[in-house]
Amino acid sequence: MADDLKDILSNNNNEIDNRQLMDYLRNQLNNTDKHEVESTMNDDAFMNDAVEGLQNFDAKKDVQTYVTQLHDDLQKELSKKKKRKDKRRIKEQPWVYLAIIIVLLLLVLCFVVLKNYL
Amino acid sequence: MNTEKFKHISDTELLHYFNNDKNNEWLGILLQRYTLLLLGVCMKYLKNEEEAKDAVQQVFLKVIAELHKYKVDYFKSWLYMVAKNHCLMQLRNKGQYNAEINEQLLATPDETQAEESFIQKDIVLTNMETALQQLNKEQRECVTLFYLQKKTYQEITAITNYSLLQVKSHIQNGKRNLKIMLQALQQNG
Repeated sequence: MADDLKDILSNNNNEIDNRQLMDYLRNQLNNTDKHEVESTMNDDAFMNDAVEGLQNFDAKKDVQTYVTQLHDDLQKELSKKKKRKDKRRIKEQPWVYLAIIIVLLLLVLCFVVLKNYL
Repeated sequence: MNTEKFKHISDTELLHYFNNDKNNEWLGILLQRYTLLLLGVCMKYLKNEEEAKDAVQQVFLKVIAELHKYKVDYFKSWLYMVAKNHCLMQLRNKGQYNAEINEQLLATPDETQAEESFIQKDIVLTNMETALQQLNKEQRECVTLFYLQKKTYQEITAITNYSLLQVKSHIQNGKRNLKIMLQALQQNG
């Protein structure tokens, strides 16, 4: 009883993973696990709002489709950013890259000369 | 990207890596952890599946563009505030929400939950039963069923005939009131 009373005040910091959350939404958890998710919801406004919103989706399978699409778009956006960053880096330091190319050409030239004339 | 292999790395560590090398891949891993929750929050406020999906994309872009501007200690709380503010702004632009949105929230999220003060448990236990009796009937009933008898929301709904929303609200308000009462009792005692 004393422990249960303490539970009321303790913050449940358990991280509920996405799979457990989806199982909760699909009503596929047993009562103990369900209680754990709900206990986390009581202490976590983010999670509480999210569950309320996710329960409003017409079909739960759409949720997973949306999440996959969002992940793909996020990856595209991040790789676009990376490419832009790389291009900018080349633009910002053209002399460095030019110097590298010249050194490489000289090395090739030396190699050809040495091979043909020595 | 396979986020499973980064599962053992905490949000704080990922944030630290991002702050060190500004590599957006760390941010990608971090954001993907919260896509589902973000989608739910946006759906709660915007009440439209497509709009909610677009809003999550906007939140991602906002985080990618702005995270480096702020010193964020609790990424999850910060992200929640960014998402919530974004949705409230959208509603305000559509004329559905008139409340003033404090831009400061972006930089300083409400982290009261994370910083909540610790109450000494011995004193708490002595006062807890008294405080529990001081709650109104609905809150006492729901708090007792949820925390002491470990019932689920659904079971409490069936036992009490309250709606699901009422049950959640009685539990959350009951818990908050209990904390307030116990802090008052502790200060007076």
